Amino acid sequence: MPAVGTYFYNIFHSLYTVIVGMKITIKHLFTHSATVQYPTVKMKIPERARNRLYVNIDDCIGCDQCSMACPVDCITIDTIKSTPDVDLGLTSKNTKKRLYVPRFDIDIAKCCYCGLCVWPCPTDCIVMTDVYEFSEFDRKKLIYSFSNMSTDEIAGAQERLKKYDEEQAAKKAAVKAAAPITPPSSKPESSAS
Amino acid sequence: MDLYTIIFYIFALITLGAACIVVFSRNIVRAAFALLFAFFGVAGIYVFLLADFIAITQLLIYVGGILVLILFGVMLTSHQIHVDAKTGTVQTLPAVMIVAALAGTLIGIFWSTNWNVNPQLEIMDKTAPQIGELLLTKYLLPFEIASVVLLVALIGAAMIARREKKPKD
Amino acid sequence: MEIIQKLFANELIVSILLSLLPLVFIIAYALVVLYTEMKVAAHIQDRVAYMRTGWHGLLQPIADMLKLLQKEDIIPDKADKLLFRLAPIIAFVGTYAAYAVLPFSSIYIGSNINLGAFFLVAVGSLVVVGILMAGWASNNKWSLFGGVRSAAQMISYEIPTAIAIIIVVMITGSLNLQDVTKFQDGGIGNWVVFGGPSPWLQKLMLMPFTIITFFILFVSSIAEVNRTPFDLPEAESELVQGFNTEYSGMRFAMFYLSEYANLFTVSAVGIALFLGGWSSPFGTFMSGPVWGIFWFVAKAYIFVLVQIWVRWTLPRLRVDQLMYVSWKVLTPWLFVCLLSVGLILVL
Repeated sequence: MPAVGTYFYNIFHSLYTVIVGMKITIKHLFTHSATVQYPTVKMKIPERARNRLYVNIDDCIGCDQCSMACPVDCITIDTIKSTPDVDLGLTSKNTKKRLYVPRFDIDIAKCCYCGLCVWPCPTDCIVMTDVYEFSEFDRKKLIYSFSNMSTDEIAGAQERLKKYDEEQAAKKAAVKAAAPITPPSSKPESSAS
Repeated sequence: MDLYTIIFYIFALITLGAACIVVFSRNIVRAAFALLFAFFGVAGIYVFLLADFIAITQLLIYVGGILVLILFGVMLTSHQIHVDAKTGTVQTLPAVMIVAALAGTLIGIFWSTNWNVNPQLEIMDKTAPQIGELLLTKYLLPFEIASVVLLVALIGAAMIARREKKPKD
Repeated sequence: MEIIQKLFANELIVSILLSLLPLVFIIAYALVVLYTEMKVAAHIQDRVAYMRTGWHGLLQPIADMLKLLQKEDIIPDKADKLLFRLAPIIAFVGTYAAYAVLPFSSIYIGSNINLGAFFLVAVGSLVVVGILMAGWASNNKWSLFGGVRSAAQMISYEIPTAIAIIIVVMITGSLNLQDVTKFQDGGIGNWVVFGGPSPWLQKLMLMPFTIITFFILFVSSIAEVNRTPFDLPEAESELVQGFNTEYSGMRFAMFYLSEYANLFTVSAVGIALFLGGWSSPFGTFMSGPVWGIFWFVAKAYIFVLVQIWVRWTLPRLRVDQLMYVSWKVLTPWLFVCLLSVGLILVL
């Protein structure tokens, strides 16, 4: 194209493109906005979104698998063995519970929302909920305790286990005394945790 | 003293003060900026002389054109800024002679002129059409010569600023 | 006006009061435009802008203003303190001086001088000096860049503006903006943009040139107020707000106010010259001194709205493109218009 032609072409082309652009913006001026007024209006979050963890402690069998799966070690679990005379009930999946869970703490401040703790759980009792607004001014408030055992219950459970262990040890000693041929074992068989 | 006299002296003070800063300031940029106030004061005095067209032209050409050009010149030559402008005396004798001659001429004109102070003339006449008519009739030749000079300057500037074409091998 | 004069019985007080009126107007107007700009910008980008302070955020501009007033006034240690303090004042004075000749209504004009349009072009240069001063005094390389760019841009675009004004002056035969407006009184057909109140043949011949002139004046007025797509002096992404990088608090507020006041000035010039100023578009219907103010402000507001619309549509130009547009497109086309309009008027 000759120089003069390019000059006029450029002018009209730029005018045309400006008009095209302005048409687009005026269209958007009257469309509904894509944003919402957040605290009052909330957007629906996806079904499988990973947010705050929740533990259904009634189903927990204290297997510690979630704690082991956690890449940032934010789950701390303590367990106490139950004695044969108490029945802790069944989980929703008909698994027999054998352990008390006196402590099930999740430090949600450390949690990286990877969801790795959810999959190993045999009873599906640790889940990710859709709650995402839980900011606190004190970091300690972000350590969630899910255990529902009171201190008295914990002490009782520990005492019963101790008594049971002693009884078992006494029984074993009696058996040992009855059969003295076997060499004395150096370590006790029951490991009280 | 009526209001207009007070305003006149304010303008005179602005002009003279700013002009003094232009001359005596060691900071060249400040001197250039002080020129703004000097031009502004002069424009104000033109208004008092009922020369509204000249006053606005003063603002347009001196403030809008020449002052900005000076500022550009000062700012673009960066290493010049921090060098203190020379305010010492060189060649005292010729300078004194020239200044004395100039001052004598000005004072002579000042005394010999018949200052026609006419406070009754208050309505500003339409000056622009008169100036335009005079420029295109009585003063046509100087006007045309000035435009030719400006055209020459423009072409010269374009010539200097032109990118030189490399000779083809 | 005579009532006020009798009320105070002093010419000086009356003239001071009358010259303060535009200041009140500027502040109120700046708040409205600030709100409009934010809302339009947001809706163009599919957002909603502020919603919490007052109904749909109506009080937000006031809150913004109060916040600006309370901010700490910071002056950089290495800045030229005198010029730094002076710059916003000079920029604002240059803007405010233009309000002296804007014909708000058939009865209100700050100073009814015969060279109104010429005066407008001249005081525009004060703003250039203010911006240059701010850029220099900040002692910051980006600010200096911004200042120099701004000055170069405003000087380049003053030429198309001036020629566009000359074309209107040739048609209306007066530099007085009040006379120019009166010339166009009496309905939409008499506006200069449609050829003015001339015989229909002449009108038809003038119309293409006046429309082009109006369009060019619009483009160069956007450039003169440093708005997108000509916002190189304030280019946030390259120059961090250019000449007002170092300013905060009150002084920044002054630049801000001066920018919005300037926005109104260029719009007012555009409508006073081309769109009939305070005259009603329906002839005698809804016309009068009070309706005059309404029409003037409303027309200017629509003008500003279009500028905002352009701002949120187009990207920024490069420096060479900026100069190209001014010197190689707008100015030659205006010369063509100037010659043609002159010829048509002589014929």
